Amino acid sequence: MAVAVLFVLLAIALAPGSAADIVANSSELRDGLTEHWGLDDPFFTRYFRFISALLHGDLGQSLTYRAGEPIVDLVARSAPATMFLVFAALAASISSTFCLAWFTAGRKSLSRSILRALSVAPVFLAAYLAMVIADSWAFHTTLQVGIQPPEWFPLLLNDSNVKVALAVFVLGMGSSAGSEIHSNIESALVEIRRSGYIDAARSRGAKLWPHILRNVAAPLAALTAARVPYFLGGVIVVEKVLHLNGVGAMLWEACRLRDFPLALGITVLSAAVVCSARLIADLIRVAIDPRLRGSK
Amino acid sequence: MAAIFEDKMKSVQNYGNGIFSRWTLTVAAVGIALPAIATTLRYAEDQAPGIVNPVFTTTMTEARVNELLFEGLYTDNEDLMTTPDLASSIEVAEDAMSAVVTLRRDVVWHDGTGFTAADVVFTINAMQNPETLSTEVGRVEWIEEAEALGDYSVELTFSSPQPSPQDKLNFKILPHSHFNGDAMSRGDSFRTNPIGTGPYRLVQFNDDNSVTFEVFDDYRENIGIDELILREVSDKSYQARLLLYESLEALVRVLPSDLALLQNSRQVELYPYQTNSWWFLGFDETEPPFDDIRVRQAVSQLVDVENLLAPIGTGEILSGPYVKSSPFYNHEVEPWTRNEREARVLLEDAGFTQEGGSWERDGEPLSFTITAHQGLETAQMVVINLQSQLRSKGIDVQTEFLDEAEWKVRVWRERDFDSMLSQWSFDRNEDVYSQLHSDGERNFGGYSNDRVDELLDIARNATDPFDKRHALRLVHELVRADAPMLFLWTLDSYAALSRNTRNVLIHPFYFFTYVGNWRMR
Repeated sequence: MAVAVLFVLLAIALAPGSAADIVANSSELRDGLTEHWGLDDPFFTRYFRFISALLHGDLGQSLTYRAGEPIVDLVARSAPATMFLVFAALAASISSTFCLAWFTAGRKSLSRSILRALSVAPVFLAAYLAMVIADSWAFHTTLQVGIQPPEWFPLLLNDSNVKVALAVFVLGMGSSAGSEIHSNIESALVEIRRSGYIDAARSRGAKLWPHILRNVAAPLAALTAARVPYFLGGVIVVEKVLHLNGVGAMLWEACRLRDFPLALGITVLSAAVVCSARLIADLIRVAIDPRLRGSK
Repeated sequence: MAAIFEDKMKSVQNYGNGIFSRWTLTVAAVGIALPAIATTLRYAEDQAPGIVNPVFTTTMTEARVNELLFEGLYTDNEDLMTTPDLASSIEVAEDAMSAVVTLRRDVVWHDGTGFTAADVVFTINAMQNPETLSTEVGRVEWIEEAEALGDYSVELTFSSPQPSPQDKLNFKILPHSHFNGDAMSRGDSFRTNPIGTGPYRLVQFNDDNSVTFEVFDDYRENIGIDELILREVSDKSYQARLLLYESLEALVRVLPSDLALLQNSRQVELYPYQTNSWWFLGFDETEPPFDDIRVRQAVSQLVDVENLLAPIGTGEILSGPYVKSSPFYNHEVEPWTRNEREARVLLEDAGFTQEGGSWERDGEPLSFTITAHQGLETAQMVVINLQSQLRSKGIDVQTEFLDEAEWKVRVWRERDFDSMLSQWSFDRNEDVYSQLHSDGERNFGGYSNDRVDELLDIARNATDPFDKRHALRLVHELVRADAPMLFLWTLDSYAALSRNTRNVLIHPFYFFTYVGNWRMR
């Protein structure tokens, strides 16, 4: 975590401009704000100040995004929605591609090509196009002919379940996520099906799927954990395009407005989520695979 | 309206769940709610306000919100003339070095307490306090001292003669009882619980980044619209669609590309309004090639301004630093027009020769970069068009687009640019001192002309409006000839409102100044 903070602070130090530049309309005010916010303090002073405050559960105050508001409050309010979106997208993506991979692994299949075509669009484009098409369709088939439009209309302004479902789909499938996850699961399934213990089970006439499921769980857990950072990155764009108010869209704005304490706070949260996901995946692998527990 | 009625019904139904039958409540709710159906106007902004405190305003979104919640001692009437708001009268001393402002006695804050002279004195002192770090300090710098002479009278002392101080007393007044000490801070709880005297009060910041304002019941005048909702729609190109979808009732500014779409709609009415904004191509006079006036004049005569304007909208082409409706615009000065022969002569005088179509001097090509702000609407189209025009005349032009922070660093702070495409917007005072005076904070190109400095000083201290007008018209003439920038145009601006809205008058800068008179069906 401390290393993540170090890297983010370094990136911040290299970025042009600061919150004082955004706010100030005179050089005098810019200098005053720079000093007041400690933006010109030495790098490691800022680093240790942030780490020290973090240990006390204090992430400071937003400078420009919501000036003066405690970052803990801002993040706490928006993080649950983002985390739901990320993990719902992960769950949807992995479960759906797993089901498909179960039948396509090791075989020629048209569905693989269809999935690849579906997921090739980058998330920002997929989200925008889906929103425009849905809104246009609803407008032309309802409002324009004098019928009450559906509750989710227009998607951009209403935080409906339809919009969340769309976000989950786009995040789970877009930017080739769907086809990559499918391909990884297929590889794992092919390897397991060709393994000696499956041959042994087959020769005994036993049901194969319990063995396959048990053995695929570990690679699935590792794959899920590995995908968390990608989805956390994708959610920034998806939330921004679909106007979902989570920490992803907030991070976008924090970077645009050079609200570095806020950006740092969100990054720390993201780093914590990634670390936790890896830890949980490792625990699952250890629990499932006796070889990883070591011999006694 | 229907949506609001449904919301009222739902809340009544939820409240009564388990006590009465839904049917009974529905009938009751219809009986109660129908006569009091509220009118709501939802308008779009591309970003939610970062802070609601007029002392720390940085964006136009915040300035417009301030207009709903707060009031100044003076404001603009419908003819854009200064008129009392929280003040009732002003008496200026003969030497114009002080004035006594008498305040209205019928004004109350949103929390019900009375407005007094102590609030005016506090606001001025707090804005001037260096600890406050106010972005609006420039609005009160000319006041040396403010003293309450009673509950409803304030004496202001000035650092220089102010024959018409009321023209500058339009900064918003804040309640002293909501702050501790003589300074304000961005962290004050006031930022989320603002208290003003304006026609609307802030009800809440919603989870979807929208902000709800409700009419202030104790406001001294009758307000036509009960509720305003600011909706954040960061994608500007989607705002017009939302208006057509009847999900919004107002757009502050319509993108030129959306004008045709809205013009054809029966639900929407477009309102043209004049802004004190003008576009320009500024030159860095401190470095070659634009340290040579001949190069600046030559480039100005190689650009077809009409051709640049046509793809992005309609507007008026300007010859100087004011819009044509300004009293300071010198109508005798003509804009630069395309004149390749004259431009050629100027470039040759400046030592350039044309080799193989490209202009060169001492083996170096005539080359520069046009820097533009990413957020300036349609700037990309203008810059690319400009690049194409100048390249076809043998000048090598590069382009770059900077985000807000990078722009402030590169252009404002380091002044590291060759030329820049930008826009200045002014309030009614149209004070270009900062842009054109050699000591001006926003004179980024390093323009310097002693006569212009002298005239700007005269205009600033003029006690006679005629003297001011005369001086600034001369400034216009001199600046056009010096060509520190190529003045381009003022764009026609349009607001779009639902046809359910009536009696709409728009302030060119603050937009909502006359919102109290707006009505909705």
